Amino acid sequence: MKFGTFVAALVVAVVAPSVTSFAGPDCRASRELLDLGHPLTVAREAVAKDHELRIVAMGSSSTQGYGTTSPQFAYPAQLKLHLEKAMPGVSVHVINKGIGGQDAEEMTERMKSDVQPAHAQLVIWQVGTNSAIRHTPLDLFSRKLRAGIDIGRSLGAEFILMNLQYVPAVVALPDEQDYAHVMAQVAKEKGAGLFNRLSIMKAWYNDGMPYSQFVYNDGLHLNDFGQKCIGKLLSQAILRTVKPSQLTGDPKAGN
Amino acid sequence: MPWRSVALSVPLSGRDLRLDFFRGLALWFIFLDHIPQNALSWVTVRNYGFSDATEIFVFISGYTAVIAYSRMMTREGWLRAASRIYRRVWQLYVAHILLFVFFTAQIAYFSFARNTTELIEEMQLMGLGTNPYRAIVEAVLLKFRPANLDVLPLYIVLLAVFPVVLPVLLRRPLAVLAASLGLYGAALHFGWNLPGYPEDKVWFFNPMAWQAIFYTGAVLAVLAPKLTWFDRWRWPLAVLAVLYLLLAGLVALSWHDTALSELIPDWLSRQIYPIDKTNLDILRFVHFVALAWLVRLAVPPDAAFLKWRFLTPIRRCGEHSLQIFCLGTFLSLTAEIVVAYFDDSIGSQVAVSVAGIAIMSLVAYGAAWFKGKPARREP
Repeated sequence: MKFGTFVAALVVAVVAPSVTSFAGPDCRASRELLDLGHPLTVAREAVAKDHELRIVAMGSSSTQGYGTTSPQFAYPAQLKLHLEKAMPGVSVHVINKGIGGQDAEEMTERMKSDVQPAHAQLVIWQVGTNSAIRHTPLDLFSRKLRAGIDIGRSLGAEFILMNLQYVPAVVALPDEQDYAHVMAQVAKEKGAGLFNRLSIMKAWYNDGMPYSQFVYNDGLHLNDFGQKCIGKLLSQAILRTVKPSQLTGDPKAGN
Repeated sequence: MPWRSVALSVPLSGRDLRLDFFRGLALWFIFLDHIPQNALSWVTVRNYGFSDATEIFVFISGYTAVIAYSRMMTREGWLRAASRIYRRVWQLYVAHILLFVFFTAQIAYFSFARNTTELIEEMQLMGLGTNPYRAIVEAVLLKFRPANLDVLPLYIVLLAVFPVVLPVLLRRPLAVLAASLGLYGAALHFGWNLPGYPEDKVWFFNPMAWQAIFYTGAVLAVLAPKLTWFDRWRWPLAVLAVLYLLLAGLVALSWHDTALSELIPDWLSRQIYPIDKTNLDILRFVHFVALAWLVRLAVPPDAAFLKWRFLTPIRRCGEHSLQIFCLGTFLSLTAEIVVAYFDDSIGSQVAVSVAGIAIMSLVAYGAAWFKGKPARREP
């Protein structure tokens, strides 16, 4: 009797406040924010001719998936899921090369050994956050980015740079926009795509989505929702340029 | 043996119900928190500050390790105590490996039964798919630990080192505390951690950082009778603790409300974030200590509510912590699968949460009945 009342009270007390948040936030981004600014010709050709797309996800902990409850929620796995769904008959490989704590310099060092055996047409390079947190000088950061892109290019891969995440630990920095700016500049000069994660996530926040919805409680990494959503939006951005027109709307085409 | 006189100061009389109660509560919290996006996990501590149930569990493990083995050492010698500790380490290891097998088998079962590609994918991604034989070797070495199977390996490592520390702990507890905090600082500063699998992974709970909370518990158990010494500052410390918890609570609540997060100034955020769980961020550590201090003041060992009948299931779970921890981890995966692949709604979240806790409690009662008396406390 007593116990029953207690449980009932508990359930009401707990469920009532969370019902509102359960309605579920939208995973969204405006069209302009999903513009990579690059035609991804190599990837498009691989999809159209060979029905194949080989992607290396180069990055640090938010590529590795730290902060998610399962590695399948990390953005590279989600990217693969969405690309496969959108392009039946195309074999999509996403190789996760995320190593926690690394910044541009360390990733440039392993760019060759990670990209070469994968025969990747596309490298998604998630970078910038650790450099900003470690206060890597901007010119060094810029140099390493260029060097890394050159290495990947020489192996036949195109690049999409994924910039910083909009989370408390990054927002509190005085100069996170400077790092994002350098990445945009390098992408433009080197002819790489740019996935503007910082602005996309900032738009979530400005739309009233609380951090708890998309950030792990360490204030730095993305949680399940954040990672899944980034994976989904990135796939949309890539599909816009890569998906051959004959595949659009017909799930059987391309087989 | 010289440590005898010291060890006698360790409380011998009666079972401290608080240990069972809060350990049981931590086990319930861990279960609820392990179900992704669980509405019921709103009740758990992690939403109201920096630390969570893991700190409670590891702290009490250190505390009970002293209670369980210090007497044995003073009466029957170090060798006997050390062998008993290693018997316990072996039990933990067996439990972990069994849990690993059941955990992965459960994923495999649902993948086959429902032909769910996501689940098969999950096994691949965990590291089982590419090279299952290698994964088994790495699991035996505790390097491969799929999601949520991180706590027992930490505990195994901590307890495996414990026999070496125990004699010193009983004679010079403060020296042990200093060494423990020193190792914690060094691990943070030099970035030490143990290697994991797949390659480039490290332990989610860095043992060299998390040992700090284990030995804080152990040292406090040794010094328990002398803790009254702190009571001269009882109220100033309580005020500091409350202020810190309020600040932590405000920060934690700000994650749920954008208007509130605007109130946290950047200079403060720069000091706070990131709040690293892997390396037991100092903010988490202090948060737990503040919480423990207030609990010590608010909940004396003879607090009436500890004996309330409708709270006995919590204590029962705490008494059989190893079994209940393993069961809870297994059930949280079941709950996750039910919610994700059968019915994704608040109703099903509440249902699986309540059902899981009911099963955990039932099994704990069963274990108590089987033993015929309250369990001997093992850490």
